Amino acid sequence: MAPVNRPRSVRDRNESAWLLPKDGRRCDPALVEGMRRFADDDVVDLVVVGCGAGGGVLTQRLARRGWRVVCLDAGPFWDPDRDWVSDEKGSHHIYWTDPRVIGGSDPVPLGSNNSGRGVGGGTVHYAGYTPRFHPSDFNTRTADGVGQDWPISYGDLRPYYEAMEEELPVAGQSWPWGDPHRYPQSPHPVGPNGQIVMRGAEQLGIDVRVGPVAIVNGGFGHRPHCIYRGFCLQGCKVNAKASTLVTHVPDALARGAEIRPDSMVTRIELDDAGRAAGVVYIREGVERFQRAAAVAVAGYAIETPRLLLNSATKRFPDGLCNNEDLVGRYVMVQGAPQVTGRFEEEVRMYKAPPPEVSSEQFYETDPTKDYARGFSIQTVSPLPITHAEHVAAEGHWGSVLREYMRDYVHWSTIGVLCELLPLPDNRVTLADEKDRFGLPVAHFDYSQCDNDRKLIEASEKVAVSILEAAGAQETLSIQRYAHLVGGARMGATPSEGVVDSNLRSFAVPNLYITDGSVLPTQGSANPALTIMALAARAADHLAASR
Amino acid sequence: MQQRFPGYDVMSQAREWDPVTQAVVQARLGPRPALAFFTPPEEAVARPLMNRLLELDEGPAVPVLEGIDQRLATGQLDGYRQVGMPPAPEMWRRSLVALDEASRERCGREFALLDRDCQLLVLEGVRTGGDFGGMPGPEVFAAWLRFGCTELYSHPDIWNEIGFGGPAYPRGYKATSPGIREPWERADVAPAEDPVPIGARMEQARKRHLDGVAARAAK
Ligand SMILES: Cc1cc2nc3c(=O)[nH]c(=O)nc-3n(C[C@H](O)[C@H](O)[C@H](O)COP(=O)(O)OP(=O)(O)OC[C@H]3O[C@@H](n4cnc5c(N)ncnc54)[C@H](O)[C@@H]3O)c2cc1C
Ligand code: SF4
Repeated sequence: MAPVNRPRSVRDRNESAWLLPKDGRRCDPALVEGMRRFADDDVVDLVVVGCGAGGGVLTQRLARRGWRVVCLDAGPFWDPDRDWVSDEKGSHHIYWTDPRVIGGSDPVPLGSNNSGRGVGGGTVHYAGYTPRFHPSDFNTRTADGVGQDWPISYGDLRPYYEAMEEELPVAGQSWPWGDPHRYPQSPHPVGPNGQIVMRGAEQLGIDVRVGPVAIVNGGFGHRPHCIYRGFCLQGCKVNAKASTLVTHVPDALARGAEIRPDSMVTRIELDDAGRAAGVVYIREGVERFQRAAAVAVAGYAIETPRLLLNSATKRFPDGLCNNEDLVGRYVMVQGAPQVTGRFEEEVRMYKAPPPEVSSEQFYETDPTKDYARGFSIQTVSPLPITHAEHVAAEGHWGSVLREYMRDYVHWSTIGVLCELLPLPDNRVTLADEKDRFGLPVAHFDYSQCDNDRKLIEASEKVAVSILEAAGAQETLSIQRYAHLVGGARMGATPSEGVVDSNLRSFAVPNLYITDGSVLPTQGSANPALTIMALAARAADHLAASR
Repeated sequence: MQQRFPGYDVMSQAREWDPVTQAVVQARLGPRPALAFFTPPEEAVARPLMNRLLELDEGPAVPVLEGIDQRLATGQLDGYRQVGMPPAPEMWRRSLVALDEASRERCGREFALLDRDCQLLVLEGVRTGGDFGGMPGPEVFAAWLRFGCTELYSHPDIWNEIGFGGPAYPRGYKATSPGIREPWERADVAPAEDPVPIGARMEQARKRHLDGVAARAAK
């Protein structure tokens, strides 16, 4: 069992939370403005593309090791005080909303439901659930005959999970599922939505636990306690929710990394020997080239494959590292139906963070069912615009929609995450259409398979039964998706994966991919903690290889 | 329409919010720039369209079309589009032309000139139909509604209508259990008004009524 509360040892390896201001401001301008700057001509040790979950952690880890690291992000360097609001519509600017095309028989809407744009990436607007994957996730092909085995096992990631849980830090009850473990911070008090879900689950004998959430409980360094304001998906203005902007970027800057915002990478360049020489990027309208001894791409499950495909060369005419036709394939998304139930009492689910309680009781393959793998159950608490979209998705509009919405305070919502299977034709390719930079945009096709459909249907029934057991008079179910990963999967051999178990590409020896696109399967856990753990592990490998 | 939260005024709490959020929300109550995206003929279709989609006369006046126009003019869009759908600005222009065409075909006049019943009939046809101006009708309908809901349910006057507590930084929420409220929140005066049976009755009545309208229009 991990020892509880070891702030000293955390601070020794990652000082971020202590580098934030103590005086109520959420960002230290001196640290940002005073960061080290490299010239484009400096051959830095590593250039990282994207400062999200994976890129942020990798940058911090290697800066700590004394590497000269430049991390380029297409979006701004956020100051939560100045740039974020407690408001749904007003948060549009934190999402990646460049043009894209979606297709397939089950197209996946993107917009606010994909990556972020700016320092912190998707961790700025993720909910903050940070579960581990289960040991079974690493060999579903062998054990269940579906998906793909990972080239590493759970045991390889475990120490990195523990390290990340301490650094974020994660709050929650002791965890009985997967590899049972405890969390460094105690569980948060549960708000109205969570209380209703716990009530229903208890009636049915379903085990639910509080957490695991990367939200400060009590205080951590100079990060304060959560104030239960419910705007986690709009960016936490309090610094209570962990994003790499507050958990890894401050330490990276203090250790000499440069995080260069507003820099859109358009191409990875190879030298004559076939090694990555650096990246072409556009900043303030000017095309530049950052030289580097190694390149790590961490742009998210859509932008990473797109960048590789847009970096085709003579040797890789179909896209960089795409010699085995794997780049952009096996993109996954979790089936994430939400069920919302009506209660006569006022629920007011907008209070408290949307991520509160969850259950992994249905995570593993159940041999009595006609589908493989499983799902997890979590609270979610849609704010008014999102709730209206749910009502509209039921086919309601006009007066009826208004009537449902007047009733908003009476509804409680559960989300489900289903492990949909990796399929080769669920893929990112390049469209004919170009973006503002003149680059072909991503075309993302998605279609479910039979197993997926059965699983989604079964999970929805459980969610409905929980709300009914809690006393819901009515329930509505909405089909949706969550969490894109895959598209540059890791594998044991070049025909199995774009990158190896250390996230190094098979095709280009100094090119790494360190984000969610390397996941071979997705489990039914939210992916951010696993992405961070993988990036931290890759950093150890990189440091050892020098 | 019965008010569920009479006297509730979320803006009475605005002084408790951080200044950046205050400014963003206050701007929704202040003057709006003149329309920049929609042409006058487009505006003439889009206004009654939004009125019917969201029955804007049923509550406080909210500048829904102005908000949509601002998003389209400044490119604050979701970015992605489905195969078979054009980018949002083009979708809007084409769909407004198609709406007038469908209105003439179904009820003999432009959308704006139809009575409420015929407008509902035409819209239900788009929602449940097939091709609409070279685009999938149900997708167009869903996109209209998404744009409209974003404006309507981001407006503080509508937060009063639905009892939503609004922004909460730096104060946060303290009454975080079912059935209790912050001192400044108002209780729902009609908690038994389950909208599901009410909505079902309304949908049924709408359907019966529209069947009648359709039969008359067909004559
Ligand atoms: C609404 C929502 C809720 C979520 N909730 C959870 C949750 O509770 N728990 C969880 O684990 N996960 C959650 N997620 C998912 C989580 O946010 C992502 O899985 C995670 O952030 C992905 O990490 P990443 O490193 O792959 O990419 P990201 O974190 O998305 O980072 C990618 C970064 O790369 C930058 N970038 C991309 N392309 C380029 C380029 N060409 N040049 C320069 N920069 C570039 C982007 O600006 C971005 O900052 C949620 C996601 C959404 C949308
Ligand atoms: S509920 Fe807590 S974690 Fe979420 S945004 Fe508010 S303060 Fe941050």
